[in-house]
Amino acid sequence: MKEHIILYSVVKKYFIELKRYFLNTLMTMIGIFILFMLVFFGLRSFDAGTETLQGTIIGFAMWIFAVMAYSEMSWGLLQEARDGTLEQLYLTPSSFRRISAYRVLGSFIFQFVLFLAFLSIMMVVTGQYLRLNPGVVILVGLTLLSVYGIGYMMGGLSLVFKKVQAGNQILQFMFILFLVLPTITDHPIIYFVPISWGNFLINKMMVGGLTLLDFTLIEYGILLLNSFAYLIVGLIIFRVMEKIAKKRGLLGHY
Amino acid sequence: MKALEVKDLHKTYPQWRGESTKAVKGISFSVNEGEIVGFLGPNGAGKTTTIKCLCGLVEPTKGNISIFGIDAVNETRKAVSNTSAVLEGNRNIYWRLTTRENLEFFAGLQGRSGKEVGPEIERLLERFDLKEKEDTAARKLSRGMQQKLALSCALIRGTDFLLLDEPTLGLDVKTSKEMRRFVKRLTTEEGKTILLSSHDMNVVEDVCERVIIMNEGKILANDSVENLKDIFKINLYDFILEGEQELQKLKEKYDVNEIKYENGNTKLRVSLKDSESFYSLVNHLQEKDLRLKEVKNLDTQMEEIFMNVIERGR
Repeated sequence: MKEHIILYSVVKKYFIELKRYFLNTLMTMIGIFILFMLVFFGLRSFDAGTETLQGTIIGFAMWIFAVMAYSEMSWGLLQEARDGTLEQLYLTPSSFRRISAYRVLGSFIFQFVLFLAFLSIMMVVTGQYLRLNPGVVILVGLTLLSVYGIGYMMGGLSLVFKKVQAGNQILQFMFILFLVLPTITDHPIIYFVPISWGNFLINKMMVGGLTLLDFTLIEYGILLLNSFAYLIVGLIIFRVMEKIAKKRGLLGHY
Repeated sequence: MKALEVKDLHKTYPQWRGESTKAVKGISFSVNEGEIVGFLGPNGAGKTTTIKCLCGLVEPTKGNISIFGIDAVNETRKAVSNTSAVLEGNRNIYWRLTTRENLEFFAGLQGRSGKEVGPEIERLLERFDLKEKEDTAARKLSRGMQQKLALSCALIRGTDFLLLDEPTLGLDVKTSKEMRRFVKRLTTEEGKTILLSSHDMNVVEDVCERVIIMNEGKILANDSVENLKDIFKINLYDFILEGEQELQKLKEKYDVNEIKYENGNTKLRVSLKDSESFYSLVNHLQEKDLRLKEVKNLDTQMEEIFMNVIERGR
């Protein structure tokens, strides 16, 4: 099987659709940026320290990244089902989960570029300069695995229960809570909820100036366990829901 | 060789609450390689469930499906990799992508590279009159063109088995005829095996060699169009009589389907079992001094066969 051709086709399609909706994406980004400016300058007016301000920049950029990554999975699946193309993705030599993963890869490339662009603009506008270590790609990638896991989970649930949009919106706000959690508590809960620990390490790298070599094996271990646990559980739930949807004839019915 | 073999297929949809629904009740049929078979049935007959079972989109409760000898129940991905489907007419395509991009994407999904399918894409664009619209977004195409594109996308996958669910739904007469011609050529020229489901009897009659009629989850008929016509031959006649005549009383003696007044004449449509009843009616009309202008023997229509099979099955 020529899996690389399937991968190329899925990623290429992602970028074509992105290009076609460029203006739409740009307007959303401008809206988000205005929101960021309000949060940032609001905090500054309360005399927040440099670390808090820099943490806000990273947290905000990570939140956008997480929401986009998550939406790609769950909304993307809903969109396919509504358009009637989901069935077609099941009629391929590759598996649907793998095709979703390829799309996620395409979106990760785009979103990472966007993440860097966003950070750069934010740094220039706010005058708060962060350390852009190349190792951040690895940390961001690992941190987002948990978000993709949740995306699979919610995507699977939407195959069976359809009306999960309300849950999607709640989750977007939950991500904010998860991201700020390490700044308000050092309770072990930050090891278990998604993206908290990863964001904590990214902060240490970009604000504290640490490199990949400065983190301990335990710190990496927690990040890996947390991210892969969410991803694996997400994939299992997706598989179970997919099976239920096939049993109940719900696949592609919207 | 059998392209598709379905044995004792059952599908019961479980419900969260209440009784489960038995959609397919132990059907068996097969489709030979290069054959085009029509799949007919009223709404709720179990056609769509059967088609979705063949695509691996619905898990059968019991039974076997094999596509080109591969077990489609247990090795679904392997079996459906040689299957393309156009489900629900003009859906199944990406509306934001152009015609060409859709074709390239669907070829890619099958693991076929741009280089490999380049000439094939050109051929499909020409064949389906889509060449001029190759750079137009699918959402901007007419419904007929979208359906042609959906069929092209199924074909570019290069599979040997095609499932077409309502391929002419919503098309105008001209485009529907074109589509039928394309579908026919797929078997005659390219040796594709097709299972075609449609509510349009004319499409099935025109395109298919064999027809499977389903109702309430069971197969009621599985035979060639010609054989079904013979079996359900009802000798339908149109008697055209001069002037507007009162013929309601004929209904007591004959199987009158319709009495219609057209251009100052009366059209009497009647089913006659044999020549004896035919002559009896002619004599009766003569006795009543009615002037017979014309008698037409109507061909048995697929629609009548379908209705007959469904009625008998009840």
